[in-house]
Formats: sequence, C-alpha cells, structure tokens
Amino acid sequence: MDSTLPAVAEELLKEIKKAFQETSHGTDMFSFRLKFIFGPSAVPALDLVDQRSVTRVMSPSGRTAYQVLGSSGKLYTCYSSCHFCTCPAFGFTVLQKSESLLCKHILAVYLSQAMGACQELTVSEEQLTSILLAEEEDEG
Amino acid sequence: LCRGGLAERLCRLQNRERSAINFWRHQCISDAKIPSDKTGVLIVKILEMFEECTIQVAICQQLEQSPAMLSSEDAVISAGEPILKVLFARETAAHLKSRPQDVIHIYPPWQKLLLRNADVPVIMNTYFSQKVLLSEHSETREKTCSLTKMLIKKNIISLAQTFKLDDLDDELHQESSDHQVACAPQIPDNCDSKQHPLAQSAVNDSLLEMVESQGAVGWREVQVRVIIQRVYCLPAREGYRSHVQGNKPLLSNRGLFCRLCLLVQDAYGMFSEVQLQSLSSADDIEHYCRRWEGKFCCLAGMKILQRTTRGRALGLFSLIESLWPPVVPVKVPGQSQDSEMMTSDLPPPSFCYILTVQSGEIHVEVDEEEQISNLYQPPAVRGLKEILQINGCNVRCSFWAQVLYLRLQTKYSVPINQREILLFVTDSTLQNGVHMIPKVVAVSVAASCVLSMEVTEALSVVSRLVFFKDALWGNGRIICVERTVLLLQKPLLYSAAGADLSELTGPVRLDELDSTTQANSICAVKGTVIGVNESTAFSWPTCDRCGNGKLELCPQDREVLYCNRCSEVVISPVLKMQLEVFLSCPSRSQSTVKVKVWHKMSFRLFVLINMLLSLQSYEVQSVLGKEVGLLNCYVHSVTSHPNCVALEEIVLL
Repeated sequence: MDSTLPAVAEELLKEIKKAFQETSHGTDMFSFRLKFIFGPSAVPALDLVDQRSVTRVMSPSGRTAYQVLGSSGKLYTCYSSCHFCTCPAFGFTVLQKSESLLCKHILAVYLSQAMGACQELTVSEEQLTSILLAEEEDEG
Repeated sequence: LCRGGLAERLCRLQNRERSAINFWRHQCISDAKIPSDKTGVLIVKILEMFEECTIQVAICQQLEQSPAMLSSEDAVISAGEPILKVLFARETAAHLKSRPQDVIHIYPPWQKLLLRNADVPVIMNTYFSQKVLLSEHSETREKTCSLTKMLIKKNIISLAQTFKLDDLDDELHQESSDHQVACAPQIPDNCDSKQHPLAQSAVNDSLLEMVESQGAVGWREVQVRVIIQRVYCLPAREGYRSHVQGNKPLLSNRGLFCRLCLLVQDAYGMFSEVQLQSLSSADDIEHYCRRWEGKFCCLAGMKILQRTTRGRALGLFSLIESLWPPVVPVKVPGQSQDSEMMTSDLPPPSFCYILTVQSGEIHVEVDEEEQISNLYQPPAVRGLKEILQINGCNVRCSFWAQVLYLRLQTKYSVPINQREILLFVTDSTLQNGVHMIPKVVAVSVAASCVLSMEVTEALSVVSRLVFFKDALWGNGRIICVERTVLLLQKPLLYSAAGADLSELTGPVRLDELDSTTQANSICAVKGTVIGVNESTAFSWPTCDRCGNGKLELCPQDREVLYCNRCSEVVISPVLKMQLEVFLSCPSRSQSTVKVKVWHKMSFRLFVLINMLLSLQSYEVQSVLGKEVGLLNCYVHSVTSHPNCVALEEIVLL
C-alpha cells in the first residue's frame, strides 16, 4: 500500500505557503492540522520559525543545505535532497523508531520556506562541503 | 516561547482543544447513547488499517446512515460508496481500539484534505470519534477483541522523498523583485512640498500629540515636523511577518535582514525611532547618513509599533542619552508656542515610541534642501585615549581609527553571518601615548551591528581608517552593536572638541608582550629560541602571483604546480613554512612562550625548518639561542597553571 502521510504533509505545507503569500499570516486551522500530522514536533518547530532560526546555505554551484539554530544554541544541519538532520532526535525518533516523519528542525525548515522566514547565506564550495561533513570543534 | 509567536498561539489552542476532547469523551461515556440528529457527523466503516509514524490510517467506506438501522446482511460493501482515508492520532486510535469492519462516528470539527494527485479524500483532526457497537454482536465481539491482540501493518516512510513547495517559489521571487522596484521610489529624494498632497494640512511639531491622536478623526493627515538625529540600519526580527506584504526587509552582505531606521527628535525634545521600508541596498547607509542627518523631516500617518522604556531598550536609550541634553532650548508642552525652557536641568527621556511606515503610502518626507537644524547634535569624535578613560557604562562614543588586524570569532556552533568580528584599532592618541596606555585596542563588532558590503570588503583588504559612529563603551570594552554605524569617510559634520585627529605618522607599534598581556589581543614579541616543536614543522608552496596556498599538481605534467585562482601554471612558487617555537622573552620571563611562526621568519629558523623537513638528521642546537626579532602576534591563550602563552604570528593589514 502506498504511503499516505507524506502526501498529506506536503499538501498541508503547500497550503500554508499559499495562505502566507496571500495574507502574510496563517490561520488557526493550519495550526490544528500541523499539530495533528506532526504531533509533538509542531510547537517546537513553530518556535524555531518565530525565532527565525533557519538559514538556507547556498554555494555558487547551486547546492544548498539548511542550518537550524536549535533551542540549546547548537547548530544542526538539514539536507535539502532528502530528509536528514544531524540532531539526536532525528536519529532516534525518525530513523530508529519511525515514530515521526520529521524532526522539529526539518519541520522548521519547511515552515520557514512556506512562510518566507528563511535567512539566506551564500558560502564557497569548500565551506558548504565542511558544513555537510561532520563539524569539528575548535580547540583554540 | 516567543510571546505572540505562532508557537505560543498553537500551544494555547492545543490546550483548549485537549480539554474539549476530554470533556466530550467523558460526556459520551456518561450518556451511553449515540446522538442521532447530528449534522456534520461522518459515519465510516473501516475496511483496512495500517500505521504510519504513530498515525493510524484507515481506509474506510462512508456510510449514509448509522448501521444500527441496517441489518447485518447489508454489511457487504456495495460498489460506488465513497471511499475515504481517515487518519487517527495515536491517542484516538488507542481509545477507539478499532478493527476492520468497525463503524466509527466522527463528530465535528474534523477536517477534509483533498490531495492534488489522488482521488481519495483524507479526513483528519478526528479527535472526536466514537466507535459504534452493533448491539447484536457486541458481546461476542468484545470477547474476541480482548483475547486477540490486533497486529497492524506499519508502513515505513522513505526519507528519500522530500516535500516540494516549489511550484509557487518562482512566483514569489518574481513578486519580491517587482516589489523592490516599486518600493524604492517611495522615499522621495527631492520633494516639492507644494505639489505633495500631504502639504495641504497643518504641520504639527509634537510627536506625543500625533501618537495620542491616533485613531481620531483626520489623524492620518496630520503631519509632524521633526529633525533626524541619526540614520542607521537595524537587523530585522519580524522579517517573515511582513515579508509578503511589502514591508520588505533588505539583505545586507552579512546575510541578515535589516531595515533602515531614523532616530528623530521633535521641537519638545521627544525622541522616536522610525523604522522605514526597504531600500535597494544596505550599502547606501553612508549615503543616507550624509543626506539626511540633521535635516528636517515630515512624518504622517505612522503606525505605532511599540512604546518602549529604558529598562527594555538599553541600546536605544544609550543613544538617546548621548544626545541629551538638547543643544538648543526646547519647547515645553502646555505653554504658549513661543516660550522655551532651558534644558540643562531636564531629565533625559524615559520612554520612546517606535513608529513604522504603513505599507503602500508615502509618509516620510525629508527636506534635503533646507539647512541643518540647530537641534542636530553631530557625533562627538574623541580620541581613543579619552574613550578608554571614560567613567561609566553603556556610553555611546564616536571615533576615527586605523584598523590594523581583523579576526573572526571561531565558534562553529554560530552561523558565519552571525559571528562576532574582532577589530584591532589604534589612533595617534594611543600611539603617542605614554606608559599605562595600550597602543592598540580591540573593538568587537557584534552580529547586531549591520555592516555594508563596502565596509566589510575594505576591512579585510588593507589597513583602513574607519569612522566608528556611536559605538558603545562599557566594562572596559568598546563594542559595535545595533545602531552603531561604521563608515569609511568622516561625516560632513562632527564635533571634535580637543580630539587629536592627526594622521598616524610612521609605522604602527604594538604593545610588547608582558605580564599584563591578555588572550585575544595582539602584541609584539622578542626573544631567544629555547626549543622547537618538531612535529609542527611543515612547508607548502604558494602561488607567487596571488598567494594561493592550495596549489594543485598539473594534470598534464605532474612535476609542475597549478594555481586555479590565477588559472595558470606556477613556475616559481614561494615556499611558506610553519613551525612552533618556544621562546624565552625577557619581558615576560616567567612564562613559556609558544609561537606559531609562519609568515616571515629569520633566516636561521628558515634554515632549521629546511633541515628538519628535508634531511634525516639535523642539529637543533645550531638554532637554539638565536634571537627572534620583533614579531607581531595574536595571543590565543594565556594560562597561569602552567604559566604559558600561546601566540600566532600575524601580518598587520
């Protein structure tokens, strides 16, 4: 049986985007639907959008990635070509237990796109590569 | 959670809904009767069920009437009855414990979603659902239900499928570029007040009156005449709310959205911050400062964003206080128009209105032709030596200084465009200063200080004189925050009471490393080599034209190096070397001084490294005891146990 939920989620996000384009604010109906489909990720994701934590990082070759400033101050990377996020919740809830479609960071990425709340940043190819690879901490 | 944000709203709605669901369920149990007359009730029969990410998906048939009316023989599926996909949340599914063939009543408010490429409608928000028990079979069914545990197939969703919101994206981009063109001419350069419709009505000179008359008849036409004390860019926080409507924030080179703002003052001395719409680029900030600061301006029909106080907006009020008291007498409300009061004993303002422009209409007219108002207070330029001696906290100061070195904060958890920049600056007051006064001071530029592209590029290329307007001094540090503006040229007007603004003559000197040197500063180092960290020695070739350190081997001829920045073969590469040496410095004799040397080094060290890298054997003793000349270094860290200073050689701009 083909899966249903992704199509529903995509349609919901498209409608949110359309509503924001027309009125520059959502309606409560979207909030209810978001909560229904995405469950416990909905409120934290909206909070990330309220704080404009999502940045779309682009390189000259056209590759993109997303960086989301989590509530703890840590920066997580979300891929644009598939659903993936470097946060531990994604590894556990989505990959291991399949309990959720997305983590709150990926949802925040979609919502920010729909509401035009993405910050934009252009970096060099090397910088984008280092973002996509594991981040290293600086000792100095 | 942000107050007034979407998350907070959803939280409140959710709480209300949860209590409504619980109340409803409780009521159903106590009533033990199915309400028969309901409009909007969806009656479905489950055909098939499976689970996707804790949501239960039930393929159902929609029934017209309650099946209590039908006999059990009619339970056969009749073709043509509409099929629905009903989604149940985890908690609802646990409550229902439904199975195929069960009939469910779904009470409003439920929601229907039609997918673009599918025929089957989706029903969601099915919190108010109840299973209908067919009375004849209910007992036996209940028994079987409790004995067998139902297994539901779980669909694993692929992560490869992403959501495409894109078909509307292109339209959005076109719209934004159109909108930008439309926005730009809205702030007129040279307005002829006779032709302008706003000029018809009387001009007021009180901001407070304008604010208090908001909503009254004719308030939109009332104009207030104010003077522009400062022009600056603020990073925008509400970017997305106004994004579509045309109150479009602009993108500065640091990737932050920002908005052009004016700090205005009326004839009564009251201040207000006016947030304007977007311009074509943030790089015009220097341009607008020159054209608008000190000039008169008419405001009309402004929207009040906020009334803020000192406690809530320290940054704004530190700027206002730097402009207090007014340099000319201001009017006093309630007294006749002509009488004015001396302002030296008036307390500084404790509140300020933040206004914004309504989209789509012209509300701010700057009169560029008229001369500068007497009320205008140009930035008071001071020497850095004087600033370092200011007693007080959160004091705005302006100065003109030479930038010697730039360092970007290296915290990787912070995105690049929001990182702090550390600038090391000096002026003639510091260079010619006496003992106890540092020769160079660090100025940190926070992410909230909006820099134009021009300034950012200029800062990293060559040593520049930069004008810092309204930087903040406090706790022994100079910082550039919101409302600080960095300019490459001195403003047209500034007061420089006694400040030494002479150009620097001769080479710049840094403080020498001593016991007071702290981390994240720059200094000059002199000493003798007492040790070498051999494991850190390496060398690499660089392009002699552009200095590119990442040369590649030529694909055609693997013996030759190629620079992809110049797109040419490098015939005579410059060999750069790096090594960590331990020095004994007389100026700080108690500490072990470790220096990463790599820009230029004495010949002896060069020879040593060469030996270390190329030969199997070497004589370290030949280099020990050699003098290392005055090196300019950045101090990475200073630790007391062990007593160690880690430095890195730098090249000043």
